[in-house]
Amino acid sequence: MADTLSADFVVIGSGIIGSLTARKLALAGASVLILEAGPRVTRGELVARFRNSPRRSDWMSPYPPAAWAPHPVYQPKDNGYLVQAGPYPYPAEYIRQVGGTTWHWAAHAWRNVPNDFKIRSLYGVGVDWPITYEDLEPFYQEAEEIMGVSGAPNTGSPRTKPFPMQPVTEPYAMRRIRERLEPAYPVVSNTTARNSRSYDGRPACCGNNSCQPICPIDAQYHGGLSADAAVAAGARLIPDANVYQLEHDAQGRVTAALYYDPDKASHRVTGKTFIVAANGIESPRLLLLSTSDKFPQGLANSRDMVGRHLMDHPSTSLTFDAEEALWLGRGPQSPSSINTMRDGAFRSEHAPYRLDFTNISRVDGTSKSLVAAGVYGPELEKRLRHSVAHELNVKNVLEVLPLPEHRIALSDQKDAMGIPKPQAHYSIDDYTRRGHERSQADFKRIAELMGGTNLRFSKDGDFANNQHICGTLSMGKDPATSVCDGWGRAHDHENLFLASTGVLPTSATCNSTLNGLAVALRTAQHILSAQTSTPTPAATSAPGR
Amino acid sequence: MRRILLSVPRIATVSAALLLLLVAVGANAAADMPDAALVQRGEYLAKAGDCVACHTAPKGQTFAGGLLLPTPLGPIVATNITPSKTHGIGNYSLAQFSDALRRGVRADGAHLYPAMPYTSYSKVTDDDTAALYAYFMQVVKPVDTSPPPTALPFPFNVRASMIVWNALFLDTKPFQSDPKQSAEWNRGAYLVNGLAHCSTCHTPRNLLMAEDGARALGGGDVGVWHAPNITSDANSGVGGWSVTELVGYLRDGHAAGKSQAAGPMAEAIDASLRHLDESDLRAMATYLHSVPPLRDAADTRPVFSWGAAGDDLASIRGVALPKDLNEMTGPQLFDAHCATCHQAQGQGSFDGGLPSLFNNTALGRVNTNNLVMVMLEGLHRHPDILMPGFAKDLSDRQIATLGSYLTQRYGNPNAQVTAGQVAMLRSGGASSNLVLLARAAMVAAVLLIVVVIGLWARRRRRVQA
Repeated sequence: MADTLSADFVVIGSGIIGSLTARKLALAGASVLILEAGPRVTRGELVARFRNSPRRSDWMSPYPPAAWAPHPVYQPKDNGYLVQAGPYPYPAEYIRQVGGTTWHWAAHAWRNVPNDFKIRSLYGVGVDWPITYEDLEPFYQEAEEIMGVSGAPNTGSPRTKPFPMQPVTEPYAMRRIRERLEPAYPVVSNTTARNSRSYDGRPACCGNNSCQPICPIDAQYHGGLSADAAVAAGARLIPDANVYQLEHDAQGRVTAALYYDPDKASHRVTGKTFIVAANGIESPRLLLLSTSDKFPQGLANSRDMVGRHLMDHPSTSLTFDAEEALWLGRGPQSPSSINTMRDGAFRSEHAPYRLDFTNISRVDGTSKSLVAAGVYGPELEKRLRHSVAHELNVKNVLEVLPLPEHRIALSDQKDAMGIPKPQAHYSIDDYTRRGHERSQADFKRIAELMGGTNLRFSKDGDFANNQHICGTLSMGKDPATSVCDGWGRAHDHENLFLASTGVLPTSATCNSTLNGLAVALRTAQHILSAQTSTPTPAATSAPGR
Repeated sequence: MRRILLSVPRIATVSAALLLLLVAVGANAAADMPDAALVQRGEYLAKAGDCVACHTAPKGQTFAGGLLLPTPLGPIVATNITPSKTHGIGNYSLAQFSDALRRGVRADGAHLYPAMPYTSYSKVTDDDTAALYAYFMQVVKPVDTSPPPTALPFPFNVRASMIVWNALFLDTKPFQSDPKQSAEWNRGAYLVNGLAHCSTCHTPRNLLMAEDGARALGGGDVGVWHAPNITSDANSGVGGWSVTELVGYLRDGHAAGKSQAAGPMAEAIDASLRHLDESDLRAMATYLHSVPPLRDAADTRPVFSWGAAGDDLASIRGVALPKDLNEMTGPQLFDAHCATCHQAQGQGSFDGGLPSLFNNTALGRVNTNNLVMVMLEGLHRHPDILMPGFAKDLSDRQIATLGSYLTQRYGNPNAQVTAGQVAMLRSGGASSNLVLLARAAMVAAVLLIVVVIGLWARRRRRVQA
């Protein structure tokens, strides 16, 4: 039988956004095909790899890249997949496998604050979104109810309906931080997709403290569950299908996706509507790869906007020893934060930020550093015990402005499949650096209130990356400065939609997943309501069907 | 003084009027108002009888029926027992209610299947029956819908066949207290053998699906789950449990170092046992300690006593997972799926919130069905998932490898799990040949009759000849 596949909707990428978009379309009765570059995985093998890894703090260690669909890893050494063009490195981490990158995350599921949508009008920086908070509010709620989100009520994002559950019990360390920082800083529960009670067939968090790299009991929502839900809704998911080219017709409508299987045999998938949901780096890469005579710069790229405006959330931090024993590591890894600097008139001067407290057990990191320093015997135990009990860390999560020179482009280097690797052009601009400088006063004040000693600021000029890739497929009203419209539709192609954190035109101060997902669910709603004719059933024919 | 005198007749009048009013109210109360104490008692007894367990469908309305009870003959549909006059038992008299409860006979005279545990409920006293009746009639909300009727295959669709079955297996004698035993023991015996109907699951059944009285509470099978031996035997039963441990188990669903309830027992605790008074649970435990011991020869030591903390990490650290995950070893599967919660050496959590795998009856019995079922479905205690199920994550072979590793490492080394067993339990249990047997028996009976008639006719002919 001829190896041709076809569907009403072809979704490229099976991560949390692609899968839940596919699910929504499939639930409406459409035929949906999901193409995933990476392999299927089970939670058990990830947990086994994590527990078996000598690098427990390397959150990528349970996720070795597939040879036919690599992703960047940096330990034990950089595999060179994401080429760095500088001037500042952008060592993004993501996972190409069924379910995508949210297999490992802290499950932060923040909504933006309303002013995040109009920072150009209000503060004269960045760009305004083509949509408002109110446009997105029902889709935030929809996503939150799917994922099982909880959070504090007072973080600046108004709600029309309550969270589906109460927050997970506050860990002791976070309680003490909250109590000691009152009233100078309100420390609140993070907004997270983590069960505080049994929800949707998944148990409540019991504090394994391994949210990253893997929640061993699915108390934390992840894209693997989304992919399962999409399949349960009737979507067909093809793993190990590395899409390397989109084809189009004379009108510029996308007609087919070409993918390589692991043996580099090429397959062609046709469809009526294509949704690229392959994250903020692989999605622009695919569009840039899809060149033709009609579109020599690639699809959706007639104005050279694809891949530009790359943003994330850089962080600097302070580590110190608190006066009292707090024993980080009980409960989830990232339970609490301070949200008072997310918005304000200061945004015209410097980056806003959140302040995040880690609750990751200090045992692994402290052991390593003490052993590396040659400490052993009774002294090792004494110092290990002290550090593990007292050490605290607070970091900022800084907004980055969308700048066209920050971008994902194609490299001259090629991956194992002979496809050009993605290449990052990145730097930290003064707006973000000024935010970092402003936050140092908060760090010092927090340490003071905690009776902190042995203050260790992150190295000056070093910004850690948070893997919140956005901007590279920016939505906007003006096709000259954006890739897609407010519905996620590519300006250049009537039947090509983009569903990814890449469409977020600004990074704001919170993790990108919920924002990207809400935008994508709104896109799916738009596609469904715009459909005048009923979708035809799947006209697929493939081996084994 | 005058005023007082004058007022005397007025007081009398008012008093008479009040008295009349009170009488009137009293009469009304008897006719229309629920007798609070009686219905409260009835509600408690309905919980003790766990009526809701079968007579409420998942997400259905309380007592409106609809739950499918899997039996080897096919599903039996629990009926609507709300006081709906059109779809429930709203027209039942107390006598009709009593007949249904204690004799297995509906108001229309048709017989119930013994999926309704009337063989146990026959022990319920008249007073308790009246209290149950009052509760169902006066408090339960009527629901005017009916689930589809039960449709068993021939010959079991002939409900009159239950007349014969009842003649054989229904003991209609009400509960007789034993004066030689304490009041607590008698209360326990009344509950265990009556409303709590423990024997329905925990007593094995004979070929005709009747409880085997000679092996009372010696362990039975409830669909895919095994209801273990709860006689006083020290090895196979609960003889080695203290009364306090038994009470804690019945109330909370777990006893440290012994066992934890899952499957249907977890449901029974959620809907019934945890609502009972401590004194009633103590009475039940006291009685269970006196149930004649029955021992499974395979239980050479108490089933909760097997195993010790330990690990096989040395065999897996530094070893890559096999490419085919079906080839994963027991220690690898344990590390992947169990060790995070039950801890690296199977010791559970320090506070007992997560049980140890050694000193755990789930791994100490030779019958490993419950171990497999917990791995497949997890452990649910309404509304919580205490342990997630792994049906989606693990193949039959992986569960067999893991289950056998667990019994070897932490439990009874003679206990095994096979992939075939997992496949059977995953698909809902062994299919029964009872229908076939019954039909074969009927054919055999007909043949026998034919042969007897034939012989008789031949003999007659000979006699005539």
